Amino acid sequence: MAKFLLLAFRNVFRNRRRTVMTLIMVGGGVTGLLLAGGYFAFMTRGLREDTINAGLGHLQIFTADHFKRDEVRVLDTGIENWRQVAATVSSAPHVRGVAPRIDFYGMASNGTKAVGFMGSAVDPNAERSLGFRSRGLVGRDLDPKPGGEVEAILGAGLAKSMNVKVGDGLTLLAMTSDGALNGVDVEIVGIVNSGISELDARYLRITLPAAQRLLQSDRVTNLVVGLDSTSNTDLAYTELIPRLNGLSQQMTLKKWIDLATYYKQVNTLFNGIFLFMGIIVFFMVLMSSVNTLLMAMLERTREIGTMLAMGTPRTWIVALFMLEATLLGGMGAVVGVVGGNLLGAILNSAGLHMPPPPGYSVAISFKVLHVPAIMVGASILVIFSLALSSIIPAIRASRLQIAEALAHV
Amino acid sequence: MDDLVTVEAVSRQFPLDHNYVRALDNVNLRIAPGEFLAIAGPSGSGKSTLLNLIGCIDKPTTGRILIDGVDTSTLSPTNLTALRRVKLGFVFQTFNLIPVFTAAENVEFPLLVQGFSSQERRTRVAAALESVGLSARARHRPDLLSGGERQRVAVARAIVHRPALVLADEPTANLDTHNATQLIDLMHDLNRTLGLTFLFSTHDQRLLEHTDRIVRLTDGQIVSDTHTAESLNPNVLNPQVFNPHDSNQGASHGQVLAASL
Repeated sequence: MAKFLLLAFRNVFRNRRRTVMTLIMVGGGVTGLLLAGGYFAFMTRGLREDTINAGLGHLQIFTADHFKRDEVRVLDTGIENWRQVAATVSSAPHVRGVAPRIDFYGMASNGTKAVGFMGSAVDPNAERSLGFRSRGLVGRDLDPKPGGEVEAILGAGLAKSMNVKVGDGLTLLAMTSDGALNGVDVEIVGIVNSGISELDARYLRITLPAAQRLLQSDRVTNLVVGLDSTSNTDLAYTELIPRLNGLSQQMTLKKWIDLATYYKQVNTLFNGIFLFMGIIVFFMVLMSSVNTLLMAMLERTREIGTMLAMGTPRTWIVALFMLEATLLGGMGAVVGVVGGNLLGAILNSAGLHMPPPPGYSVAISFKVLHVPAIMVGASILVIFSLALSSIIPAIRASRLQIAEALAHV
Repeated sequence: MDDLVTVEAVSRQFPLDHNYVRALDNVNLRIAPGEFLAIAGPSGSGKSTLLNLIGCIDKPTTGRILIDGVDTSTLSPTNLTALRRVKLGFVFQTFNLIPVFTAAENVEFPLLVQGFSSQERRTRVAAALESVGLSARARHRPDLLSGGERQRVAVARAIVHRPALVLADEPTANLDTHNATQLIDLMHDLNRTLGLTFLFSTHDQRLLEHTDRIVRLTDGQIVSDTHTAESLNPNVLNPQVFNPHDSNQGASHGQVLAASL
């Protein structure tokens, strides 16, 4: 077996120029996949952390009935004794903090026009302690101090449709838990532009006490849990489930990934693009390698004839060609992984930036992550592609007529 | 003594355009173990075709060939491969060494295919290279060897597994007079000392002068079959019995022969 492997290895380097060209092609494919995959990984990681830090948190706690709720009287299915729930959760490992929220719906009026809004009531201190921040905020954030004017932050689209600016006032109307219509006057302290126009056209944020006063309830719709690291999400989830099951009110715990619809769409898109690139590389390696290996087979026709004449089983010839192709694929993968990581490190140190995407005002830095799973995946892809490409030449070689092969010039 | 090779009424036709060319026409030939036999004749007389048929790398159109009493026409491709592996050794006009292997590795290849142990392979390769006078060149690749040396490596490769029959197709065609004479002497010496049966095609008069038996072919037919005084070689080893239904035969055969090295 060792001699057979040695023969395959030496055959790979028989025509050095052709081998180098093949290695460049295979390595180039792997490098391309590593750079693209590494960049996509950087982008999705950035989007993931942005999504979490924009207020989604790592975990969210709802009542079991939350997703069957009536959207008019949202707190009917809210968390009753939420401070106790928050305390129970806060003591769990990896939990950095808990922020209560009320997601509600209502009408905003400027005296001449009324527009429906999607409200989010927050505890500004809890939000800040978890590092949640509003992107594209003009004006200031909500004042956590109780009393005084009720403050509000509006989405840019909503502010535009209401024709209001920072410092103007609005009246918010919403249905209380007992079915009555209640209203509260607010002062606009900030206008936020999230980059998602559908959200900005309806978004409104006030403080938790203001919302509870408007909705006439002490409940909250959900509790947002921040962890020390996103990688601990599953661990914390497993830890929190029994704690929540011990409470009098039945709760549901959701991971950030279950709530991050936009992130999932982007991730699916990137995965699709990466899969497409992988398919292109696979077929590029496959087609060009078939030609290369067929040429190698033709050049060695007489040698194969000699081996067959000496009684070498035809399966050995097939195995030899496939082994050579696999070795070539393996070496190409090594070249690609080394090249991809090297090029990635150079690009990372160059401090490159990509143009701002829609909804962003600042350029995004260009980084390539070194992802072991992509290295392994891309390597397996090209090795498999080369092994597959060797099947036709290998079978043709094994089926050579010995007398004709020996007479081959 | 039983014949090692029996060629019975063998013809071989090849298609050419819309017709057939008869390369061999009703050839009959018997070769005893230990013979040193030349197939002579002009180009196109059918020498290589006859060697290919006896070497089981081609099939006759009509007739049959027996090797060690086994009718090769009844063997499956796998058993034919096994027969070639165990019973035959080949020397080619253009040497046909594996260029990425050293001389020793080339000689080792038939043993590798037969499944000999590494220790056994080492011993046999050293002995084979010694017998052709190339021990000092064992680690050289073919491109670093002269034509004569390459052909001697090819001879060592052909005899290393002690086949019953060594087939050599125009072995001196690519050699100068000096190397050709050396090769002829070497093959004859191996024939005498090891009792190996040699069958080769040639139109080289130098080679024919050293040959015990000369079969002349013209237009695919045997026109003469002459023996010299040396043709009855007393140093003939018993050829191994080949079991056509045992495709793994080889290692045990080699082990038996190892004693004679």
